[in-house]
Amino acid sequence: MRPLDAPAWQQLAGLPSVAIGATVPAYVIALRLQRRCAGSPILNPTLVTILLVVGLLQLTGTRYETYVRSASFIHFMLGPAVGLLAVPLFRQTALIRASGVVIAIALAIGLPAGIVTAVGLAWLLGGHAETLLSLAPKSLTTGIAIGVSQAIGGVPALTAVFVILTGIIGAVCGPATVRLMGISDVRILGLAMGIGSHGIGTARAFQFGDVAGAFSSLGMSLNGVLTAVLLPLFITLLPA
Amino acid sequence: MLPVPGPVIALVLLYANLTWLGRIPENLGALADRILQNLGLLFVPAGAGIVAYVHLLRTDLVAIIAALLGGTIVTIGLVGVIADRLTRGQQTGVVHDATT
Repeated sequence: MRPLDAPAWQQLAGLPSVAIGATVPAYVIALRLQRRCAGSPILNPTLVTILLVVGLLQLTGTRYETYVRSASFIHFMLGPAVGLLAVPLFRQTALIRASGVVIAIALAIGLPAGIVTAVGLAWLLGGHAETLLSLAPKSLTTGIAIGVSQAIGGVPALTAVFVILTGIIGAVCGPATVRLMGISDVRILGLAMGIGSHGIGTARAFQFGDVAGAFSSLGMSLNGVLTAVLLPLFITLLPA
Repeated sequence: MLPVPGPVIALVLLYANLTWLGRIPENLGALADRILQNLGLLFVPAGAGIVAYVHLLRTDLVAIIAALLGGTIVTIGLVGVIADRLTRGQQTGVVHDATT
């Protein structure tokens, strides 16, 4: 297909209504697609929407910069939305008090493990610095991961995609991994899923009951907040 | 300047505020549920930026796949095994208490 008439289209694509008017329906289609396929984590709606948008940009010959500028309102909403994660976290305050020890143990292992395993493996296999920094926050919930990536000099776009893929891998392989270890405590299953694979893993953990889901969501939130505070500090303390 | 991302500071401040209040205002709870339900939409503009990094994905493909697949499975497995070992013996009953 021939790219659309360049000047006229670029002007049209610069309109927020066009960018948002393309993104939101694409997301609705992606949501329907996942629902139709029994909620399969592989058909992650965000990932499908990103692919649809990228396809649309290529098809119409629109530059990413033009799109992201006109869709900036959607991106802007991400900040306040991440702040709102305090609400579900606050609802689980009683759970933190009741199971503080196991939560603290899981975080003490999972927080560094999520970063070190990813960065270490990629480093061993010759990944570029940009790749390593973008991989570091991959276990965090996407909104926080994008912020951390920016703070430590990674590429937020790469991080967003790495985070979603991490979630899908955790949702698909996590329960089997935990079962293989002979673990029957659903609190630990939940914590491992939430700390290792954030929201997508949490959605999967809820299929093992509300307790697993609640602990997973807790693991995700606490890992996100603690890493966001500790990782940028750690990186600034590293010798250059 | 603080290296901590602004939205995370907002999260911590809102949590502190809620703790001080001792409850979640009805409107805020409804708003949070509504927005967080569609959180996935808000990552799309940032994620679509991947188009500019296809070359990096290609050169680091093996490293990335190993990091994502290996890193995620090892992390989940490690948390599971160590947390299970360290808490064994004190876990009876707690599972049920947590739901109430």
